[in-house]
Amino acid sequence: MKLSNLMGRVVAASFLALWIPATSQAFVIDDEDDPKDAGEEEVEDEDAESLIAIVGGDVHVGNGEVIRGATILAREGKIEEIGLDVYVPEEAEILDVSGLRVYPGLVAITSAGLVGGNSDFQDTYDPFSSALTLGLGSGITSTGAGSSAVKLKRFDMEDVVIRDKTYLNMRWDGRDPSSKRALREKLEKASAYLRDYREWQEKVKKDKELKEPSKKGIDSSTLAVLRGEVNARFKADDRDDLLGIARLSRKYGFRPTIEGCREGWTVADELGRAGATAILVPRQRRAKDERLVRDGGSSIENAAILHRSGVSVAVRPPRTSIDLGGIVGRDIMHLPIEADFAIRGGLPEQAALEAITIIPARIMGISHRVGSIEVGKDCDVIVTDGDLLHYRTFVQYAIVDGRVVYDKQDELFFAHIRPRPEVEVDAGETTEESAEGSDDDESDESDEESDEDGEDEEEDEDEGDEEDDD
Amino acid sequence: MMRSAILLALGLLSSPAIAGDLVAIRVGRAETVANGTIENAVILVEGSKIVTIGEDLPVERGIPIVDRPDWVVMPGMVNAYSRMGLDSTGSSKPTPDAHASDELYPNERVYNEVIETGVTTLGLYPPGNSIPGQAVAVRPNGATPEEMILADDVYLKVILRANKTSKKQLRDGFAAADKHLEKVAKAKEKWDKEQEKKKKKKKSSKKKDDDEDDKKSEDDDKKKDDKKDEGSDVFTPPEPDAQAKVFLKLREQSLPALVSLAGAAEYLHFFDALGDEEITWNLRLPLPTESDLFYVLNQDDFGVRVKGIGEHEVRVVIEPRTTRHPGTMRERNMPAELAASGAKLVFVPLRDDLTNHKRWLADVAAVVAKGLDRETALRALTLEPAELLGLGERLGSLEQDKDANMVFLDGDPFESSTTIKAVMIEGDVVYGEVNP
Repeated sequence: MKLSNLMGRVVAASFLALWIPATSQAFVIDDEDDPKDAGEEEVEDEDAESLIAIVGGDVHVGNGEVIRGATILAREGKIEEIGLDVYVPEEAEILDVSGLRVYPGLVAITSAGLVGGNSDFQDTYDPFSSALTLGLGSGITSTGAGSSAVKLKRFDMEDVVIRDKTYLNMRWDGRDPSSKRALREKLEKASAYLRDYREWQEKVKKDKELKEPSKKGIDSSTLAVLRGEVNARFKADDRDDLLGIARLSRKYGFRPTIEGCREGWTVADELGRAGATAILVPRQRRAKDERLVRDGGSSIENAAILHRSGVSVAVRPPRTSIDLGGIVGRDIMHLPIEADFAIRGGLPEQAALEAITIIPARIMGISHRVGSIEVGKDCDVIVTDGDLLHYRTFVQYAIVDGRVVYDKQDELFFAHIRPRPEVEVDAGETTEESAEGSDDDESDESDEESDEDGEDEEEDEDEGDEEDDD
Repeated sequence: MMRSAILLALGLLSSPAIAGDLVAIRVGRAETVANGTIENAVILVEGSKIVTIGEDLPVERGIPIVDRPDWVVMPGMVNAYSRMGLDSTGSSKPTPDAHASDELYPNERVYNEVIETGVTTLGLYPPGNSIPGQAVAVRPNGATPEEMILADDVYLKVILRANKTSKKQLRDGFAAADKHLEKVAKAKEKWDKEQEKKKKKKKSSKKKDDDEDDKKSEDDDKKKDDKKDEGSDVFTPPEPDAQAKVFLKLREQSLPALVSLAGAAEYLHFFDALGDEEITWNLRLPLPTESDLFYVLNQDDFGVRVKGIGEHEVRVVIEPRTTRHPGTMRERNMPAELAASGAKLVFVPLRDDLTNHKRWLADVAAVVAKGLDRETALRALTLEPAELLGLGERLGSLEQDKDANMVFLDGDPFESSTTIKAVMIEGDVVYGEVNP
């Protein structure tokens, strides 16, 4: 309901905005295209290579590097070339983004309601939902949903799941000693098995009869964590818990991901040494427990301090769905704004950008496909009209798997806010007709004025005629 | 009533030349649906059928004429998707072998009331949340179930939602059909072996020919091999269980499916669940306030992977209402957009109750006023739902040899001041008075 309220308002203002061209096509029956033929071509179309060139933007590749006026060429949804001197084949679709900035598509570490259901995304995905469009409109191109990593792929639901089981939940809570004991036992067993297994691996080379150690009683998912195949994710805010997790992970040799991490700034060194990754809500405020003498509670500098100590920082907003809750800017649509709170506390801007792109991708184990603009990765990029981390900036285009799936001017949500100027017609061939075709507001007005003048003159003449008649 | 009136008239005239109960009805205008509008139409009805219809037809002497120059006649309306008069509750498990015809209550008062709204044919579907079962086409004026039923098993209602369970139910149905076919193949193989053993014993001289026959029969193990009728040994395939039978019929395309989808995403999920199966299907698309169906009307509009609803040219059962562009207050005429894309509209009342049956014409008129083609709208009330029920040859329009199902109005059907004056089902006046 809240969503629709917002949109109601947005739209009330946008009634004069441009109507979606594609929708108006829905009213037109194309007589030339025989539907049967279209069906036959369907297969061929899929075989035809999709080729897109994103031309002229300032490409922020995601590691701090910026290539100004560069071209990104993507084939079949994968980035093939990035650079200033890229040969663009004739058949490529060209997206001119000169004057705009290109960033990697944002990765929301967790979200709710952007892509359909909570699980079985291949069966529940809704590629047409408003929530998904708004997600793309706020720059998000992939998201953690449930325990999967899913793409925001509009109009299509093929291969939307990037990875299932992106993490294993581990419980380490000072108020629940039995859970701590249980976790320790699991890790102990898995670790012992790994030791035995490695030993066996060495020995089996000489003695081929030797039996492989039994996996009985070993938790396979815990084993996967120790082998570095899956990320272990904890939820912890308390200093003691954080310390416990840090020691646990150092002892058993895995790198924990800690969601919350409110008092992380008090034990940042320990967390850094444990190779931890923190998922923070930087704007979150909580006073410390006054009964304790030590430091505690939240700090605006949390992200900055953790980052300085070598902890990778990912950022998520307080609300993970598109839900304004009465206060604008707290929901998933404001991922960059949330990162700004970390910047306010001293986090370098580059780290803040990484906190909503490559770091969450790494946490979910999908950084080989998304999270930065690199050759070989998926062509999931967003085009903005300014610094991504600035509150004034809008996403102009979102491109997922090399397909433009969001164009600000084509959707009714933000099209009316600072509309993007129309692309100018090639200056070399500018004639009067093409100038009119460019749909420039000013030229239209001047045309109208001149028309009016003309009419006035005619009227004058008419009056004169009448006088003559009299 | 009318028939008795005619008989009376015939009796008075005592004209022996006229065989049967012929009557001519002359009205100001007829919306034939099949052949456009006829002004000053004369419809000749004999018994339950329309003999002929045309403009100012000369009427033979002796045939009684009902003269209503201020009336408009249209075909009886068909609500192909209803549960009027049925009150059982369905299960959430698939019951494709359920039949709505098993739960008919003739003489329900609601059927008389439905007739008063101009509905002369109903398609009734069984209740349920997944694959509820098969629908039946009925005339609402029958006194017994047998009298009501026009055609049984007219479509299989399938509800498909974007979740694993729902999609699996459809796949499981076809898997059950596959399993049965496997069973048949095995039984056939066994039978073949037995036959061969017998033959060896017999030492038949024409062994060669039979071998060839064997090959043929292996190619198509579903069919009985008539040539092999030697004595009593005829291969009888095992009977499929009720559920598998339905899906076999779907696959044979002898039973069409009516698939209920909530939105554009479900349209994609439907094809995903269907896989390579080829079935005859139409769509039930309940229109919510905000509909995103425009995404899948035509494949090229938004570059979806499957052919659009319009390109499939299927029938879509929808309510006559406009929707809003998602997230906005902008009004869209989804029925008109569907019709423009190539889909065939089948209207149902906004809700399946008497009140909404009464305002059905008015609701359709509202959509027509907002841009839907008038002829399409009339078709969507009559001929298209009749086609959906497989009765397009028999009713749904005012044409020669079709059932005399007619609604008499005192004005244009889409005019708000118009009221229904009389309703005729198969020649019987079941509501109102036709004779002036």
